[in-house]
Amino acid sequence: MTITETLNGSITIVAINGTLDAASAPELLMSPAINSASKTIVIDLENADFLDSSGLGALVATSRKKRQMNALTILCCMSPRIRRVFEITNAYRLFPIFDERDAAVEYASNQTSRT
Amino acid sequence: MNSVITLTLPGEIVFTRFASQTALKAAEHFISTCSGENVSWEFPHAFELAVSEAFTNAVRYSERHSTPTQPVIITFILGQQRLTVTVRDTNPAFTTETPLPDIDSFPERGFGLHIIRSVMDMVSYRRKNGSNIISMSKQL
Repeated sequence: MTITETLNGSITIVAINGTLDAASAPELLMSPAINSASKTIVIDLENADFLDSSGLGALVATSRKKRQMNALTILCCMSPRIRRVFEITNAYRLFPIFDERDAAVEYASNQTSRT
Repeated sequence: MNSVITLTLPGEIVFTRFASQTALKAAEHFISTCSGENVSWEFPHAFELAVSEAFTNAVRYSERHSTPTQPVIITFILGQQRLTVTVRDTNPAFTTETPLPDIDSFPERGFGLHIIRSVMDMVSYRRKNGSNIISMSKQL
């Protein structure tokens, strides 16, 4: 798995490429964007080819950490394979989820400007 | 006659993707041998996902109980229109009676068995000769 972080104004976009499972999940949790204080992030899953419950757990942990910092974790560009895991576990309730990255960034920007 | 594929992997988390990708390939091969037409992506993905969960559970359970790394044996049985996979390890016995975590409490773990049950037709667990054997199958 590779993680690419791009700064877009006050938003950080975290693009995941590859597999998010038990072997790779710790890498996501150690990434700078996840750990930087009060930065809202958009996690782009367009190039994530696989996610299991360990990968989901890393995203949930990210969301919880960001909430504690009064920031948001927003997801976008899920394939049907990844969406399936969110539907099975009801985890879609924990995140704003968008089909397109631009819509996710716009939502993030609007939310950030309100705080 | 059933075809059987057996894979023995070190019980180490770095081999998780190897296990799940092998499951995906086995399911795709099974579909092709059954002349499966118009089979949804959900069928092979179910095996990719279930094996990832079962393999991870086996390795994590071993780590939690500080047992030496044991191999995990994955067996695919390609039957008549039904694919079965068993994941076997020699960790201490465990319970499969785990409640579904409350998603609103932001749980980081505990979904593995629930996902397996959701994507498979049949799931069973048995303890035999000092091994845990989880069996998962799905009709084409």
